[in-house]
Amino acid sequence: MPDRWTLPALDARNRAFFTSGRLVLQKCASCGVVQHPPEEMCHACHSMDFETRECRGRGTVYSFIVAHHAANPALRERVPYAVILVSLDEMPEVRIVGNLLDVSPDRVWIGMPVRTVWERIEESGETLQLPQWKALEEDEHE
Amino acid sequence: MFRRAAVAGVGESDYYARGTSPYSATQLAAIAIRRAVEDAGLELRQIDGLVSYLEPLVVPPKLAALLGLDHLDFSAQTWGWGGNGVASAVAIGDAAVTASYAKHIVVYRALRQAEKERFGRSDLVPRAHGDYAFTAPYGMVTAAHVGAMQTRRFMHEHGVSQEALAEIALASYAHAQHNPRALKRGHPLTRRMYHESRWIAEPFHVYDCCQESDGAAAIVVTTLERARDLRKPPVPILAASQGLGYRDGVGAFNERHFPTAHYRRVGELLWQRAGAKPGDVDVAQFYENFTGCVLMAITELGFCAPDELERFVSEGNLQWPNGDLPLNTSGGNLAEAYIHGFENVNEAVRQVRGESTCQVDQVELSLSVSAPGYAPGSAVLFCRG
Repeated sequence: MPDRWTLPALDARNRAFFTSGRLVLQKCASCGVVQHPPEEMCHACHSMDFETRECRGRGTVYSFIVAHHAANPALRERVPYAVILVSLDEMPEVRIVGNLLDVSPDRVWIGMPVRTVWERIEESGETLQLPQWKALEEDEHE
Repeated sequence: MFRRAAVAGVGESDYYARGTSPYSATQLAAIAIRRAVEDAGLELRQIDGLVSYLEPLVVPPKLAALLGLDHLDFSAQTWGWGGNGVASAVAIGDAAVTASYAKHIVVYRALRQAEKERFGRSDLVPRAHGDYAFTAPYGMVTAAHVGAMQTRRFMHEHGVSQEALAEIALASYAHAQHNPRALKRGHPLTRRMYHESRWIAEPFHVYDCCQESDGAAAIVVTTLERARDLRKPPVPILAASQGLGYRDGVGAFNERHFPTAHYRRVGELLWQRAGAKPGDVDVAQFYENFTGCVLMAITELGFCAPDELERFVSEGNLQWPNGDLPLNTSGGNLAEAYIHGFENVNEAVRQVRGESTCQVDQVELSLSVSAPGYAPGSAVLFCRG
């Protein structure tokens, strides 16, 4: 995305996801349910106490778009760009939005295996680490 | 509810391309309301209720003062992101007159999209909050992006081609050519133009996306009994529904049944309340934010199975006068005007009255469906009086 672009506003619920450099999801401390995006209460048991569940950053492209129209003047130099929706291998019901780095938008396909990489952004004394994605190479498969 | 309330009047302002209206949103609303009230054969001062959806500017206390209403006994608007509340607002009007909270309710929507307030663009915000924090930083910032993400997966799962999306746009544009109100009258669309047009966000071409327009539309809702004494034949509200499935309000594409247009529950309630089935519908107006989302709503409401969709929408089946399900017979959001979908309610009523410019023969059931892709969805079914 452009240099001056929208960043996540950090709060108690999303801070780990956007700063830890690890793929961590919100997990209910009471019943263990994982929910994404993080919420103010566990939808299963209504507990308001949370811990995190770390995931291995592997998934597949579940859906994607290729944006051609710059919806904002700041995006003019960036289009066309792809946004992907990744289904995690460990928990396929969890879907995470991101960008696919180093792949031309016309080479993205549903089912494409991907792995997490981290985009470091220093902003107002904070270090954000946004989860992003790269195509999983053949020799990375296990 | 259930055939005890009726639409007694419909009206709209002239429609304009975005940013070209000489009138403010309030002035446009007043014009549409005066015309709807006149159409019903009522006096403006007899209006005692005002209902809308996502209406940030034209608020009932001010509007009632400007219109000179004797008294305002009921005002409300529905929850939701916007266009998904069109039919829900009509349902509120229905419920309120049926329960005698007011006698003559105007349901309305007015839009004047200044540069800063356009739906089709996104202002640069330094920080994104809540669910938006999980999408905006990645360049996912407009409704078109959301609809495209849903549609791409839907096409993948059900073997739906770009041609199916084109059919929605082709139907709306074909119908608009007969409608003097339509902003795209005189601008017919061919299949070749569709495919050669620029991409907004794949899989959406520019013709898959609604216009941006200025204008207002309004209806008068009253009891069926009162409506029978008014100037025009009443158009009963047979049934309406608003619906949201389990955890459908979850953000960033994590609904359990992604992709969904959020119309499964709406359909279950609607057909049960109406005692009808999709095949009974004579003509349908579907809010086209984006063509792909309309396709999803068509299947979720039960008009066909997803795997049959490609065939269902092809070979002119959605086009007046020969198609089995003429769709968006005024031109809809794509080709009449984008009045946040309320122009589709007026058209659904006109089809029952026999006043459409693409009039379907012998309309018994006329459906208007609100925006797909946002939860909760809503729909309203009008019937012959």
